[in-house]
Amino acid sequence: MKALSERRGKLTGLRGIGVEGNLLLLAGFLAVGLVSPSLWLKGAVLCIVLLLLSRSGGPKQQAVQGPIGLKFVFVFAFILFIAQALSVREGSLLFHVGVPITSGGLRAGGAMALRFLLILTSSFLFVTVTDPDRLAHSLIRWGIPYRFGYAFVLSLRFVPFFRNELRIVREAQQIRGIRTSVRSLSRIRRAVRFTFIPVLVSGLMRVDSIAMSMKGRAFGLHRTRTSPRFVKLGAADLLAAVSFGVLVALVALSRKGSWP
Amino acid sequence: MCSSSGADAPPVAFRDLSVRFPDRLDPALRQVTESVAAGEVVAITGPSGCGKTTLARALAGFIPALIPAEVEGEIRVQGEDARATDPSRLAEGIGLVQQDPDAQICTLRVRQEIAFGPENLCLPIDEVDRRVDEALRLVGIEHLVSRETTTLSGGEKQRLAIASILAMAPEILVLDEPTSSLDPLGAKQIFDTLSCLQQETSRTLLVIEHRLAPLLPMAPRVWVMDGGRIVLRRPTRRREDLVEMGLRVGWPRRPEGASAAGRPAVELERIHFDYGGEAILDDLSLAVRSGEILGVIGPNGSGKTTLLRLLAGLERSQEGAIWRADGVRVGLLFQHPHQQIFERTVRRELEIDGSLTDSEQSDLLKGARLAGLGEAAPLSLSMGEQRRLTMAATLRRDPSLLLLDEPFIGQDRRNVAWMIGSILTARERGAATVLVSHDVSLVSALTDRILYLGKEGEGSIEGAPSVVFDYLRRSGLTAFTPEFWEAT
Repeated sequence: MKALSERRGKLTGLRGIGVEGNLLLLAGFLAVGLVSPSLWLKGAVLCIVLLLLSRSGGPKQQAVQGPIGLKFVFVFAFILFIAQALSVREGSLLFHVGVPITSGGLRAGGAMALRFLLILTSSFLFVTVTDPDRLAHSLIRWGIPYRFGYAFVLSLRFVPFFRNELRIVREAQQIRGIRTSVRSLSRIRRAVRFTFIPVLVSGLMRVDSIAMSMKGRAFGLHRTRTSPRFVKLGAADLLAAVSFGVLVALVALSRKGSWP
Repeated sequence: MCSSSGADAPPVAFRDLSVRFPDRLDPALRQVTESVAAGEVVAITGPSGCGKTTLARALAGFIPALIPAEVEGEIRVQGEDARATDPSRLAEGIGLVQQDPDAQICTLRVRQEIAFGPENLCLPIDEVDRRVDEALRLVGIEHLVSRETTTLSGGEKQRLAIASILAMAPEILVLDEPTSSLDPLGAKQIFDTLSCLQQETSRTLLVIEHRLAPLLPMAPRVWVMDGGRIVLRRPTRRREDLVEMGLRVGWPRRPEGASAAGRPAVELERIHFDYGGEAILDDLSLAVRSGEILGVIGPNGSGKTTLLRLLAGLERSQEGAIWRADGVRVGLLFQHPHQQIFERTVRRELEIDGSLTDSEQSDLLKGARLAGLGEAAPLSLSMGEQRRLTMAATLRRDPSLLLLDEPFIGQDRRNVAWMIGSILTARERGAATVLVSHDVSLVSALTDRILYLGKEGEGSIEGAPSVVFDYLRRSGLTAFTPEFWEAT
């Protein structure tokens, strides 16, 4: 498609890589997080992912991270680390903080926290740098029914919608002098009713009207639909494929205990 | 695999069409019988809740396929039985632009959104590109082609919704209040586009509109609906026809010279506000005094809603200062009423700010034309009813600074008259009111002063209505003057 290739040409960094390349990178990062036993490798790859994430900002990144953001992810990872460190008693005893802290506990905590962080941050990175429409078209090209591809696009379309609705509902409460808090059960119920129900209702209304809008533009009429022109793979895609190969090789080496 | 539709262009026809929704006692449509010839233009008008949107949705096949309802009678679109045909198949021949543009967008970028329909029709990629470019040009949004759909303004979304249907090239085009969120210039452009389409391609057009005058050059047949029926139908070419049909009625005006503008309720001094590096408001100074109504007009994206948000304290400017008088109570009416409805029943919604006696509640509901709906779930009401509920709830707080963002959208004349009365009452009580509206005629009739906000680089002007309109006439911005829309 003319516009797609033009847009692709202007992009730099990970955004310049095609969907397939980004998926390979994601697979490589996930392989390190899930399969490799090496804390060093996990830590190094996490640093690379965070570096890439910091250089891939933009509105889409904000939309995906939402109001919670990565801070919550890091806090949760730290809690996972502490919980493992306090509960696992294997390995040599290092010191006491009321309970014994062992080398096995620290290793288990580190492994779990790094695994959690790698999965989350690399997923964030993928969604941040990948155009959902291009992803949907790629999925369709690989044979996935286009209804599923568009279900994915629509789910992403709703992320900024819910964030925006939540902001507006809170502003409406502010203007109306409604204060919500979570200090007691009744106040929590009131907060849920006054905040989440309007947002939820908006979402349901939106789902109905979008379904009408899609049907009203012949969605589902044919078994296939026109696909955009295939965008030729470039040097960035090749680099992504090589990176994937390197990551897989490192995972294999670490599994054998050879390196790192 | 892709297949050709093979659809011809037969007329639209209803016979004894009745529609009743499961949760309503009264039918939304009652035995409507009509037909539309190919190439004909039909303007459909009538009060809120009279069945206009139901008729459009039934025509597009959404009722009963996607919206459950009891349907009796016959609907034929290009010879096909619309009741028994999937809406996606009907979409090859008929396109419906719905009322709320925001709720129609299903992709994340403008180009993809317009290409969505043609791609579903399995058209060759070159044809998809050609149609996208053509639709962008027709509605004047070429400059938005690479934008993300979530970043568009309301007016831009409305144009996008129209473009996405035009790209389907349907023989029959149904538009449900297509210009309600557009500035006057944008509305004129859409009416010109429709006129052009009709002349060049002889498309069949059904346009649901309250403003009929801009459609007159297309010599439409007008259907006036009420209570689910078409109560009046006639070809219309002149403004006098609209007068004869009772469709041109003057608005109540603010009492001349009765303004007792007092101390400023809020003042802005050299405000600068930008969003993502783009200046929305620049070097704007303004005072809104108690007992006056300030109208704010201007093109889509010129910062009207942002101004209201600054006045309400929901945004902070990057430069300049905002002063509010001590004890100012802010009442803000949002564009989308469901976002400021919180309670389970209409009565409880009105009682958030304190309980009401039965007679107070009854008076309030009657005034807002919501009588009998006290125990109804607010979010089950129509958009127009929700807007009147939020207006009544806002006014109950007796705000000293009343901020209204497009309150008249989707309201018929009787409801607009109630709203005007409420705004004038607030003015008499000494409220400072800021009214943002694209309805220049109403703004002209109602306001003491007008602020025209131009887009970046165009500048702004503020003053008495006559002064501002003179300036706009001299500047060639006639679409923002009341005489341009006087017959609507």
